[in-house]
Amino acid sequence: MSIIDYLQIPVFQRAFIAALLAGGALSLLGTVIVVQNLTTIRFALMHVALLGGAVGLILGSSPLTGATVAIVLGSCLLGPVSQRLRLEPGLIGAFFMTGSMAIAFLLFYRAGVPAMDVFGLFAGSILTLTSLDLWVMGVLGFVVVAVFAVLFREIQLVFYDREQAEWLGMPAKKIENVLLFLAGMSIGVAMKIVGALLIDAIILLPALTAIRLARTFLQLLIYTSVVGMMTTLGGLLLSMVIDLPTGATIATVGACLLGCSWLFRR
Amino acid sequence: MVGECEMALECRLAEAGYGREAILRNLELRVRHKEFVAILGDNGAGKTTLFRAILHLLPKQRGTFRVLGRQIRSKEDQAWIRSQVGYVPQRQEKGRFPISVFDAVLLGRWGKTFSYFRRPGREDRRAVDHMLALIGLEALRNQDCRNLSGGQMQRLNIARALVREPRILLLDEPATHLDAEAQSILSDLVRGIRDHSDLTVLMISHDRIQAEAMADRVVYIRQGSLHASPVAVP
Repeated sequence: MSIIDYLQIPVFQRAFIAALLAGGALSLLGTVIVVQNLTTIRFALMHVALLGGAVGLILGSSPLTGATVAIVLGSCLLGPVSQRLRLEPGLIGAFFMTGSMAIAFLLFYRAGVPAMDVFGLFAGSILTLTSLDLWVMGVLGFVVVAVFAVLFREIQLVFYDREQAEWLGMPAKKIENVLLFLAGMSIGVAMKIVGALLIDAIILLPALTAIRLARTFLQLLIYTSVVGMMTTLGGLLLSMVIDLPTGATIATVGACLLGCSWLFRR
Repeated sequence: MVGECEMALECRLAEAGYGREAILRNLELRVRHKEFVAILGDNGAGKTTLFRAILHLLPKQRGTFRVLGRQIRSKEDQAWIRSQVGYVPQRQEKGRFPISVFDAVLLGRWGKTFSYFRRPGREDRRAVDHMLALIGLEALRNQDCRNLSGGQMQRLNIARALVREPRILLLDEPATHLDAEAQSILSDLVRGIRDHSDLTVLMISHDRIQAEAMADRVVYIRQGSLHASPVAVP
């Protein structure tokens, strides 16, 4: 089958649109994670999702519903909790990660929750997305792009000099919390596309690649988006052509692009 | 006797600090228009806290403040201070992410001429280009800030504070971590700007010789005594 033949099939059509949205828009949140050094929050949210999945099963719901609710709550809480405790969000991420994992294991033990059903959350696939998933991704992608477009200078100043942003009267904490929330939501969506273990391919690697090549903030955003789309679309199409697992191929393409960026470093 | 209107800054701090314990107590400081005051003191004496008090950034702050003759009481007054004061903080990290020299200086005008839905205009860009020329960074206009030297970075920070067109400039140890040549360039720059403008300058320094050479007056904040002792420069 050729790529054109594949794209006649609704499953691949949805996957193609999802690759465009995730690579083009959600990858922008990777810049927040890289610049603010928040690499632990993606692990934290994965484990919060695990806890949510366990709670979902106990309440008779699907693990995915529980995980989604947990990610939304976790994303909302990360920023305010870190500001309340005056700890960096990265450190709070470690607290969330350990705490939620520990409670999840206690629930597995006491409530007799089948752990393997919950761990299934970690294995996502872009080929299993529903129309509802696409809508959620589309709305989230639109919000992400709109936030970066409207708050372009504000985000730039918070990234560059948070102290000055604050003394100029900018609500730096609120802006950081909005970005943290969107980053958390994007991690949740990326988990559905490539599985929790390969989230970095969509969220982190494009931003890491772009930050090596860009000279300005605008370039950083454009390069991140382009590299994100090259990663997700390239991985998807490559997996179709040579019949490889999609998530792993997407992650491999992302890693190769990051490797190439070392060759073209400024 | 100096009249009220001749004062750029008057503060009678009853107390100011971050937590329960006040760092500054009974501190009085009066700075005339166009005066260049250097502030010296040991580590932890409260020099940076004084700047933060002037900017009304402290959670705990009691006393009387008059900036350019205006008593600071409300949030509107604080917003007004931001439009009148340029601040160069001590922290001098280059940051992790790419930003051009032009953009970094342009951000100094946030809240003064642009913010949120009001984007920077031609006048803002002209002001930035003028400031880059004044500060000697015009050749590096499109350079990534991550590639600047410590001295260039410090000049950029001063340009970012001055591009707001403030009437008072606060410099928190601008020459720290710079080599002798960069310190000399920076001193000439600050003196030159001050000599050719109506700017009032307050500068925190650890270097007494440099402070006395640059400033009209040197003020000491001594840990424990918590008051300013003006010392005339010969």
